Amino acid sequence: MSATDKNQSSDTAHTSADNTTHFGYKTIDKEDKVSMVAGVFHSVAKQYDIMNDLMSFGIHRLWKRFTIDASGVRPGNNVLDLAGGTGDLTAKFSQLVGKQGKVVLADINSSMLNVGRDKLRDKGLVQNIDYVQANAQYLPFEDNTFDIVTIAFGLRNVTDKDMALRSIYRVLKPGGRLLVLEFSKPEHELINKAYDFYSFNILPKMGELVAKDGESYQYLAESIRMHPDQETLQTMLDNAGFEQTNYKNLTGGVVALHKGYKF
Amino acid sequence: MLSQALTASLEIIINKIITLESANGSLEKLAQKTLSLYLIELGFPLSFTVTSALDANEKKILVTSSMEHADCTINTSIKTLRELQAKQQLTELIKQGKLDVAGDIKVAQQFASFAENIDIDWQSELANHIGDVPTYKLMQLGKKVSSKLKFATAQIQADASEYIVHEQRLVVTKSQVDKFNRSVNDTSENVSALETRISHLEQQSKN
Repeated sequence: MSATDKNQSSDTAHTSADNTTHFGYKTIDKEDKVSMVAGVFHSVAKQYDIMNDLMSFGIHRLWKRFTIDASGVRPGNNVLDLAGGTGDLTAKFSQLVGKQGKVVLADINSSMLNVGRDKLRDKGLVQNIDYVQANAQYLPFEDNTFDIVTIAFGLRNVTDKDMALRSIYRVLKPGGRLLVLEFSKPEHELINKAYDFYSFNILPKMGELVAKDGESYQYLAESIRMHPDQETLQTMLDNAGFEQTNYKNLTGGVVALHKGYKF
Repeated sequence: MLSQALTASLEIIINKIITLESANGSLEKLAQKTLSLYLIELGFPLSFTVTSALDANEKKILVTSSMEHADCTINTSIKTLRELQAKQQLTELIKQGKLDVAGDIKVAQQFASFAENIDIDWQSELANHIGDVPTYKLMQLGKKVSSKLKFATAQIQADASEYIVHEQRLVVTKSQVDKFNRSVNDTSENVSALETRISHLEQQSKN
């Protein structure tokens, strides 16, 4: 899926009362969604990195660097890279926290975890990284475990985002911070239109050509539109208990980095 | 995201140099140490952290744009950095307020020592990639281009000077200025002599 789309559970907003949820713009049974999203990520895992570079023209690397810079990570920190996919953030965090620190790369999709693990091992990064297959809504960690939690291009795919944010809050240490890097709403209408054209006309064709899977990239474009905008997501962070929340638009708001602290 | 683009580029260049130089040993003492450099001209910090992966002897330098954690922080300007490199006048620059160092100064010294010790044989590195003969030809070409550029620069300066001084007469030459200055001095001396003579004659007429 995309340059950016990792796989946390399913997708975006889910309809509450009945047993249906959204998969991009479609409404489907919740039970079906798990397997559909899993199928998407199993399908794209191997081409994930190359598609990220192609679709974002390499800019996703700068967005991730911005996240690292904003994380304030230091030697000895415990970091959770949630929906960590192929491990771009984990690779940097692992080197910055050093031997005394620990990074947990967590993802709900086993294919993505396998690709990430292979990639990091090939880079020689083995000393301080744990791999955990986990759902963001039910994090299998004790309270107050991590100094930093990041979720980059993953929150959009979580079925119940509020629940996931509360779960993240629980595992953060007091003084810890959450960073959410995610597609958002472009600030200017012109950028918005160009972005829409690119997302719905070019992106699925690129997915078809490179990953042989245009539908997954159609889902990516749709799920981005279903994701809460900057202000809404900030309110969601506030409601989950985070303090001093703020966000920074990147590339004209195509992507936003939200930050919140637990005190 | 200019800072992220710059740090990414710097990181690639620095780590390439480290692999070419095989100077990993000198980074050993700096493992997990971070030096932050804030240059006024840039407006954002550059932080250099020495890390190691699977092989503890193989060091890398990560470049970020965060000052939240640093073992040593230096606030200065690019101009001052050049002075520092040229004259080793660290103390003097700190006294003058051009350089502000906070934290463990040994970290800064060790980073500086690493940078000073870098001595890469670029010709031999290039030869590894493209072969001896192409490298030789390329170096010869480089020398020729460099010499032609120097000649062209000198020629342009001479032509421009001639055009401005002699053709357009926008400025005067140094000899013309000297001649003018001498004339002014002569005139001044003549006026003084005349003044003395006039006062002398005035005295005589009174008597």
